[in-house]
Amino acid sequence: MMVEPILHALGVVVVGSPVVLLTALGLPLLIGIRLSETVQSRLMKGSVVAGLTAAVCILGVMLVTGSRHVPIEFGNWASIPQEHFHFHLKFVFDRLSVPFVILSFVLCGTVGAFASVYLHRDRGFRRFFLLYALFQLGMVVSALAGTIETLFFGWELVGLSSALLVAYFHERPAPVRNGLRVWSIYRIADAAFLIAALTLHHLTGGGDFDGLMGSGPWPDGVAAIDSTSALLVGLLLLLAAAGKSGMVPFSGWIPRAMEGPTPSSAVFYGALSVHLGVFLLLRVSPLLDASVLLRVAVVVLGLVTAIFGATACRVQSDVKNALAYASLTQVGIITVEIGLGLQYVALIHMIGHACLRTFQLLRAPSVLKDYRMLENAVGSSLSGDKAGRSQSTSSLQLWLYRFALERGFLDAFLNVWIVDPFLFAFRSFDSLERRWTSLLSGGESRESDRLAPYEDSLEDVA
Amino acid sequence: MERTTDSLTKMVSDDSGPEAIRKLVEHAAHLLPSQGPIEVFVHHNTLHAFEDLPFHEAVKLGLARYGAQPYLLEQEYRQLFRKGRITDEDLRAVLKEDLGQQDQERINGLGTRGQIRLAMLRHPVHVGPDAELKWIVAETDALERFHSEVPQDLRDRVVVGAKEWLRSRQATERSTSADLDGLLVKFGRKYEEWGENAWEAFSLHLLWRICRTGIQSTPPRIASVRYVRPRDLLLKAFGDDIDQDVHDLLIRFCAAYVDQGYSDWELPTRDKGFYEAFLTLYTQSNWCADRWTRGLSQELRRLQASGVTPEASIEESIRDLGVPDDDREEFVTQTLLGLRGWAGMIWQLESGAGPVVHSIPSGSLLGLVAIQLILERFAIVDVGFDKTGRRSGAGDVLQFAQRKLSEQRPLNIERRAFLLFQAAQTLGWQPQQLLALTNDQWKELDAEAEAFSALERRRIYHEAFERKYRREALDAFISHTQSFDEISARQKPHRPDFQVLTCIDDREESFRRHLEETHPACETFGAAGFFAVAIYYRGAADSFYQPLCPNVITPRHYVQEDVGYTFEGMHLERAELRRRLGLASHAFHMRSRTFLGGIFTGIIGSLATAPLVASVLFPHLTARIRKHLGSLVQPPPVTTLQLERYQEEPGPENGHVGFSCEEMASVVIRLLQDIGVTKPDAFSRLFVVCGHGSSSLNNPHESAYCCGACAGKRGGPNARAFAKMANDWRVRTLVKQAGVSIPDDTVFVGAYHNTCDDSVVFFDLDSLPPSHHDDFEAAREAIEEARRRNAHERCRRFDSAPLTISPQEAVRHVEARAQDISQARPEYNHATNALCVVGRRDWSRGLFLDRRSFLTSYDPAQDDDRHSILARILAAAIPVCAGINLEYYFSRVDHAVYGSGSKLPHNIVSLLGVMEGTASDLRTGLYQQMVEIHEPLRILFVIESTPEALLSIMQDNPTIGRLCRGDWIHLAVIQPTDSTVQVFRNGQFEPYEFNGAAPRTASFSRDCYRGCRDNLPFFSITATEERQ
Repeated sequence: MMVEPILHALGVVVVGSPVVLLTALGLPLLIGIRLSETVQSRLMKGSVVAGLTAAVCILGVMLVTGSRHVPIEFGNWASIPQEHFHFHLKFVFDRLSVPFVILSFVLCGTVGAFASVYLHRDRGFRRFFLLYALFQLGMVVSALAGTIETLFFGWELVGLSSALLVAYFHERPAPVRNGLRVWSIYRIADAAFLIAALTLHHLTGGGDFDGLMGSGPWPDGVAAIDSTSALLVGLLLLLAAAGKSGMVPFSGWIPRAMEGPTPSSAVFYGALSVHLGVFLLLRVSPLLDASVLLRVAVVVLGLVTAIFGATACRVQSDVKNALAYASLTQVGIITVEIGLGLQYVALIHMIGHACLRTFQLLRAPSVLKDYRMLENAVGSSLSGDKAGRSQSTSSLQLWLYRFALERGFLDAFLNVWIVDPFLFAFRSFDSLERRWTSLLSGGESRESDRLAPYEDSLEDVA
Repeated sequence: MERTTDSLTKMVSDDSGPEAIRKLVEHAAHLLPSQGPIEVFVHHNTLHAFEDLPFHEAVKLGLARYGAQPYLLEQEYRQLFRKGRITDEDLRAVLKEDLGQQDQERINGLGTRGQIRLAMLRHPVHVGPDAELKWIVAETDALERFHSEVPQDLRDRVVVGAKEWLRSRQATERSTSADLDGLLVKFGRKYEEWGENAWEAFSLHLLWRICRTGIQSTPPRIASVRYVRPRDLLLKAFGDDIDQDVHDLLIRFCAAYVDQGYSDWELPTRDKGFYEAFLTLYTQSNWCADRWTRGLSQELRRLQASGVTPEASIEESIRDLGVPDDDREEFVTQTLLGLRGWAGMIWQLESGAGPVVHSIPSGSLLGLVAIQLILERFAIVDVGFDKTGRRSGAGDVLQFAQRKLSEQRPLNIERRAFLLFQAAQTLGWQPQQLLALTNDQWKELDAEAEAFSALERRRIYHEAFERKYRREALDAFISHTQSFDEISARQKPHRPDFQVLTCIDDREESFRRHLEETHPACETFGAAGFFAVAIYYRGAADSFYQPLCPNVITPRHYVQEDVGYTFEGMHLERAELRRRLGLASHAFHMRSRTFLGGIFTGIIGSLATAPLVASVLFPHLTARIRKHLGSLVQPPPVTTLQLERYQEEPGPENGHVGFSCEEMASVVIRLLQDIGVTKPDAFSRLFVVCGHGSSSLNNPHESAYCCGACAGKRGGPNARAFAKMANDWRVRTLVKQAGVSIPDDTVFVGAYHNTCDDSVVFFDLDSLPPSHHDDFEAAREAIEEARRRNAHERCRRFDSAPLTISPQEAVRHVEARAQDISQARPEYNHATNALCVVGRRDWSRGLFLDRRSFLTSYDPAQDDDRHSILARILAAAIPVCAGINLEYYFSRVDHAVYGSGSKLPHNIVSLLGVMEGTASDLRTGLYQQMVEIHEPLRILFVIESTPEALLSIMQDNPTIGRLCRGDWIHLAVIQPTDSTVQVFRNGQFEPYEFNGAAPRTASFSRDCYRGCRDNLPFFSITATEERQ
């Protein structure tokens, strides 16, 4: 059969094109060559077109030959046999990954084309596109990952580029602060993911999804582990997904992440990044069959998130926040669909939602004009004084409004229950240590405390 | 940054009591940005609050108040200096004028004051923060090598001086000081073997040590900083910014409070005012709130229960924070300015500026201050808890912070010494000269250097920069009018083929110039773009009347566009279709954000890929498709203006719409008098009146791009209305009685110029008589060509358009800009504006002004003795042009404080303005992408009139007087007949001395700008002179 090598070659193109883009944008920066905007945007477009064409071809070949599961091996990149550890790079083309990778390419390409005009002459143009290439690579790797460690690799790239793009305007304090917050929450999700991956290795001797889900093509796999282990691994992965997709109680980072330029907000928080957690759940959905408790947990989390998102969305008076919470609502609903075992519905929902939201976010600056146009068409003020507005508001309504305005107190919740205890603990350690070392040295033990800036005269420095 | 500064006006006499508090807040409110809802963007002087002061004082006050840059950065001016945009001569002249008598004063035998200052301007003086200075000394060879710009003779002078010093020191064997001895130790005693480099390094080290020792003897001036706002104190003492938390909460609440209907749920009890609404909402239990808001709900409940008014609450807060009585005003001002965008918007809405859907009750700003102070108190207590581990009152925390405020020991001596050290190099001061100075002389020298601080240097640079442009402009006008006189002496004026009247806008300058080049036998005029037709207008597809006139005018008349009666049925059908589509699309967007609707829209959302991909990748195609589809629902193309009123009183209802004949006649007379076209032989057969506007996508600031004289709307309807009025024979009869006779064969045609995609459309061509079809075709052809050339000229400014672009491609390029949703710069708007010419077009015609000039037509020969026409023209032109110019100036010199920062993260909030990200202050002013190519120059008015006329107008019109006398604008009057110019300086007109330099000549505009993206000098264009 000639199909195998063709598929393999196409697969290499799909994965390779973002890698080539990243290298082509990153290496010149490292060695101090400044590529022009035109060259960079051509590289970006070329890479997307190559990747997208190859992905569509694979889809075509798979439809023609009827194959539903095409693995592409890149072998072990690290292997420690004594510890039963190996970093196994493997990509899988199946009914889940192919649509998702095509979606990634389409949205990345469109938003990239948008950004190449929108960011014209901006000082951070190169930085933006470098991070953008990193993000695209992360998405493609995560989408196609055939082993849990490969998925983790892509997942990390997405997280890194997201956090750095939130802090894109690093001359102002707020974006940097918010970028850090996003980064910290991603760390929680990553920790959960990593533990899940290790557990999986222990349970099945490898991180391969085939080993975990049985050999059936997605979504027909059958989990090869027992119910308790499935629950454990599943809950950890659910935690990871919740962090990544901004589900309750991690939703606080979503509005904060809107600090970057509009195109990056669109592609991250409207479209791709926010769905990555859900994608993870879809990928491991056979686990859900193994544990009813896990299934319940997924449905509950999704439902809570959706209700929270829908409530918070109602009171947002700025466009990007409103769209962010609207996205969150849908992510919650998609999670519920996964929990209910409707994998295909969830997949379609996810793709449709990502496209729609990207479009809405990119057109966010047009809201005023749209409002005027619609008002002229309708013939009355859309936002006019709502007739029959109830003068007295019940205390439940008040509470609900406050709850929504404060975004469910979720940030405060994390601050009070996680951040503060964490800081408190480490500061106590610090003061303990200081007391101990001072005691040992019989005086002040930390010389850095006494250092004042600018002690020496200018000439001595020279 | 915000420190105590002298307040603008007298202190409020009685500082306590609710009345006094209210006064304090209202007084401080005048310092807030005065930008209203973004949809009616009106350019205005950003520092309007300080307009009573002279310009330079006002910008300094802006620095103190808002922490904003007053001028460009010193590096930017230096770059202009290197590029020759500022010359040595300008610096000299400006310094001389600035110093007056003091210029020649000698300082300790080291040079005159003027010389010292010039040296500091010519050569970069590095004075920065301590860390930067340290870096310069450590990482550059500042003490090893002369500065690269020091000329060789001065270098030699210093080295020779150092050698002499060493020799004399060797001869006497007398130790001068330990410091200098140390230097010899450092360099070793074998100076016979030193090479050139060693001598250079030695001389510089010697100079440096001498300067440092000298400066040590003079006491530093201690600038003690007093922190009036607790937030500044805490930030300095602990590095904790309480504004972070307080603003996060307040911004969310403010946005909900002023929301014009974007959110689904309205803020409960918002009609009761800010304070009440906040109390109602936040007395709810605080079950899981941030640590710093603990106890907030109890406190608010106390306020609510005991009926504490906002004033009383402010009083409470002030006492709690221990603000001294003298600081009250300053304290309230700084508090308000902490969140100035939102506070400004609340103040604007509260004081009823601009039409809004949801008005807010008065007293809102007071409520904001009260709430802000309460929140700040809580945040302060929390900072105290964080630092000390126990809860104490806000006042105690502040005292604790005051104690903790570390005594900063800046590199005072080094910093001052380094300044002198650099001056010593650039002026070639020798070591002995400096060693001979007494302590008092050092003190004087130090004071001299300090007096010419970075701020002062930037002021001088700025004046020099403006001087260069001003002189070039005036020279160009003088020499151009000389040649104009020759030409007009040779030629007899013929009746022009057609005449075009446009707005005075600087973007129309090039359009008019190209028109005159394309068709030299035409004439162009400029008048404020509402063409004296001040109306509320409703288009056929609109549902509401909108004002189309300058903001200062409230129109009395209403005009609406009617669809031709034949099409009435189709019109109604389509209106209904539009209504249904509108409702459906609104529902779609709203529902897509809800729970169940979201599922539906999410699942079919894949369909959104088509418009998404199409509009980003193929904007032109998408625009065409949209236009085709739009034509199915838009009103039928044949429409008329309902312009004539049948009832007595004007109003929006049927019959009351429009003008009476007399009113139309007065409009026509007014405009024709303004532009000086009143005699029958002055009219051509075809008179095109062309309004303008701009269209772009995804641009919340779109209104700022449209016609300023039409309240940020498109001025097409005004032009159309004017043409229709002037064509009416009844009106013409009335006009004739007033002495303006329009020949019977003159026909007026209305038009609309889109300055973004450079398209021109004409109105009511059906009523054009067949006798004029040929005239019209000629005019249309010329206009078509002119707009192509205009697009071509504009493209040189766009980096994404190649310099080799052809006119046809240029039109495509600018069209694509208007249709692209990813375009952050649809056009450059008023950027680079620097001039305003008021007078007959004849003498400025054929001068290449590089789209930097507003052009207003005015004929002094037709004015009366009291200059009433000039007075009414200037009453609009000076404030409007100065407003545009100054807004660009301030947004450019500090786009972060005066402007609205980068457009990239902008986010529309409350349908009123934009934020950066999701929780920032409301951003006012122009965004960075809009002003990036602007050169901040105060506008120069060149007016064809006499000094007496201008002085009397200044006398009568306080606004104009303030702007002129305060140097917010530059003013010059010109007599084109004898080519003399007088400039307004220091309250009087002085004759201007012509430099003798004539501008270069070019045959077409294209030859002036070919292959160049920068600002260009003036050119004389020969193509326009071939006037038959």
